[in-house]
Amino acid sequence: MGASSVAVNQLAKHFKVPEREAGLKASAQALFNRKHRLVKAVDEISFTVEPGEVVGFLGPNGAGKTTTLKMLSGLLHPSSGELSVLGFEPRQRNHDFLRQITLVMGNRNQLAWDLPPADSFELNRAVYGIERKRFQKVLDEFVNLLEVNDLIQKPVRNLSLGERMKMEIIGSLLHTPKVLFLDEPTIGLDVTMQRRIRRFVAEYNERYGATVLLTSHYMADVEALCKRVIVIHHGKLLYDGGLSGLVERFSAYKKISVTLRERDADISGFGEVLHRDGARVTLRIAKSDTSKITARLLSEYQADDLTVEDPPVEDVIEQVFSGTEQP
Amino acid sequence: MKISILVEFQYHVANYFYMIGMIAEPVIYLVVWSTVANAQGGEVGGYTPGAFAAYYIVWTLVRNMNIVFTPYGWEGYIQRGQLSGELLRPIHPLHNHISFFAGWKVVVIVLWLPLAVALTLIFKPTLDDITFLEVVVFFFAIWGAYLIRTMLLSLLGMITFWTTRVSAIYEMFFAVELILSGRLVPMSLMPEWVQRIADFLPFQWTFGYPIESLVGRLTTTELFSGLGMQLLWIVITTTMVSVVWKFGIRRFSAVGN
Amino acid sequence: MNRIIKLIATYLRIGIMNEMQYRINFFIQLLQSLVALGTGLVGLALVFDHTTELGGWSRPELLAVMGVHILMGGVIRAAIQPNMQTLASNIQEGTLDFALTKPVDSQVIVSVREFRLWQVVDVLMGLSVLGWAVNELQGQIGLGEAVIFAVMLLLGGIMIYCFWLMLTSSAFWIIRVYEMINLFEGLYAAGRWPVGIYPGWLRSMLTFLVPVAFAVTVPSEILVGRIDVLTLVGAFALTAGLVIAARFIWKLGLRNYSGASA
Repeated sequence: MGASSVAVNQLAKHFKVPEREAGLKASAQALFNRKHRLVKAVDEISFTVEPGEVVGFLGPNGAGKTTTLKMLSGLLHPSSGELSVLGFEPRQRNHDFLRQITLVMGNRNQLAWDLPPADSFELNRAVYGIERKRFQKVLDEFVNLLEVNDLIQKPVRNLSLGERMKMEIIGSLLHTPKVLFLDEPTIGLDVTMQRRIRRFVAEYNERYGATVLLTSHYMADVEALCKRVIVIHHGKLLYDGGLSGLVERFSAYKKISVTLRERDADISGFGEVLHRDGARVTLRIAKSDTSKITARLLSEYQADDLTVEDPPVEDVIEQVFSGTEQP
Repeated sequence: MKISILVEFQYHVANYFYMIGMIAEPVIYLVVWSTVANAQGGEVGGYTPGAFAAYYIVWTLVRNMNIVFTPYGWEGYIQRGQLSGELLRPIHPLHNHISFFAGWKVVVIVLWLPLAVALTLIFKPTLDDITFLEVVVFFFAIWGAYLIRTMLLSLLGMITFWTTRVSAIYEMFFAVELILSGRLVPMSLMPEWVQRIADFLPFQWTFGYPIESLVGRLTTTELFSGLGMQLLWIVITTTMVSVVWKFGIRRFSAVGN
Repeated sequence: MNRIIKLIATYLRIGIMNEMQYRINFFIQLLQSLVALGTGLVGLALVFDHTTELGGWSRPELLAVMGVHILMGGVIRAAIQPNMQTLASNIQEGTLDFALTKPVDSQVIVSVREFRLWQVVDVLMGLSVLGWAVNELQGQIGLGEAVIFAVMLLLGGIMIYCFWLMLTSSAFWIIRVYEMINLFEGLYAAGRWPVGIYPGWLRSMLTFLVPVAFAVTVPSEILVGRIDVLTLVGAFALTAGLVIAARFIWKLGLRNYSGASA
């Protein structure tokens, strides 16, 4: 356990969900005889995160990502397993523990709706007991980084979604926590705003050496920020490692893009034709056949250009989640 | 109507919570006036504690029948486009509301019965001289009350077509209604001049009259003339509603939400 | 402790700033309070049209009760009820999380974060009615009595807060508690009259179940000169008991919310 920021061992969370059908009769029955179904939201996952690491959690809706984050921040008690964050047991909700973490949820607001963010920030200062000088310094730093100087006095309800998210993040980092739990922080934002937020998180991580655990749907978030990725599906940990390794591991396919001299050559015999654009054809082939097919192609046809690529990570992930790829 | 009954049964617990909170009001009045009656030698204004008990227990049902779509809800109703949606349907929007709430009233009546029994056991009302005729008249009277009050509150709500600064008007209305309808006290306990004013207003026909038709000492003439007055007020208020509605919709269509 | 006081001050400031933006609400509140006062006075006048005293209380004495009732009502609607309502929706919508990830006791956060400034109109109105009643009574209100009165008000307020917290905490187990406001308002309305007039079982409910008696009747009794040492001691004891019980239920509810196995 020692120096790691986050250590999770065989963590599990089960929910008993009542089952009920629609209709008057069923409602009456439900009064007396409740049927329950056991849902394993998190099913014995284990991993360790070192200080300063930025880890991305990938998984479809309902995979267990948010549940895991909630357990790590002390909001949910695990059904079984051990977990420790910064040496604390999160569910004790020790005040010293809470002072060093922060939880940001992309679709939920903490800031007071009718007041300028500046007032909510003051509130956070009081809640976390941040010393005035330090608070001002950190605030100025963040406000400058995100270029929102002229917005902090505008009521939150008058800000755009992206601006609001910037404020939410600032507010949640004012106490310079060591561990950040970010749950879908860029959800619903436009591409530019997503990049700004990502850059900001990266900056914070660099300047303060904070550990970041981030969940997202967007591959771009993960690709931009995280060197390490944990894939969760149906509550189980499918993969824990680098992003490139993910493709390696999960994809059984490669893409070959070739520009042929012969314009109408039919090379569909070599593999699945994904795309045809004049002389440029894109094929999908089994990974294991890569050298064989490349060699054959080049020997039988004249090519101006040939590229062998991994399928985009999105496709791989999508196939993992829809079950067509096996880990 | 069937749909609203289904919906309401699911929230039976919440309904009871709400009803218990609601019976506090008549119980308070009952206790206060029984105390006064006892201090004055057993009765005040012609009412003994037993008579007060009867009055206020029936009060609870009549109160429930009186609860209709709040005029405060009209603002949201108009602005949130619900009205627009309903105008597209071939039924007059108010029909929808009246039936929906009427459905709920049936549930309310059913849920009220055990409550009434409990209250009867606790407060021992004098119920000896209730005739079958009175029960029948009462049944009609409570629906008459429901209709009149629906119309009255719709009128209030429609003010929202012209302005949203309505809370002052509403508050004054409710305060006056509280005093002049028989909700606060049986009308006969009010000073003469107040009773005179109340005679010109529809309020007592939504509250005091239905109660008294069952547990009061009304003569047969009074019973039927009461129903007649209710009918009269239903006609008056419905006419007003249609007229105001026409003007309101015209304005709504001109202005939009 | 110092930090908590500063935190409360910050919440208060923010709450006031929030409300100041809607100055129209002041006038709406003023109107509502005046209408409520009006109907209350009408009720009182009606009663005294037919009698000279109610349950041993004279007219100015009942006026004093009304004053305390309005005052306390203002305090409840300004500081207690808004917090509890927000808490109830937090629990039901699962948005309590943010209150739980702060390094401050969660019970404190959920109890002090909201403040409805304009309800203070009722506090002022209640004090005015009280002043009028005391004047009519022509009694002497000594400093000692005033202090005890204030202390009893404070204890009453704390008791009401504990009741509200326990009621709201039931949301941890049952889903629909929105109607609890109706329940409370109904029972609190009973406090406009001295609880002595109610039948025994109701009086007990209004004393021990919903501590309206201690919030309104008891302080009024002190003001009109009916101090009873036993009642005072009882008030302290009940307050202490309720504070402990409320805290216990709160913690139990939190554990349930966090999915801790019992």
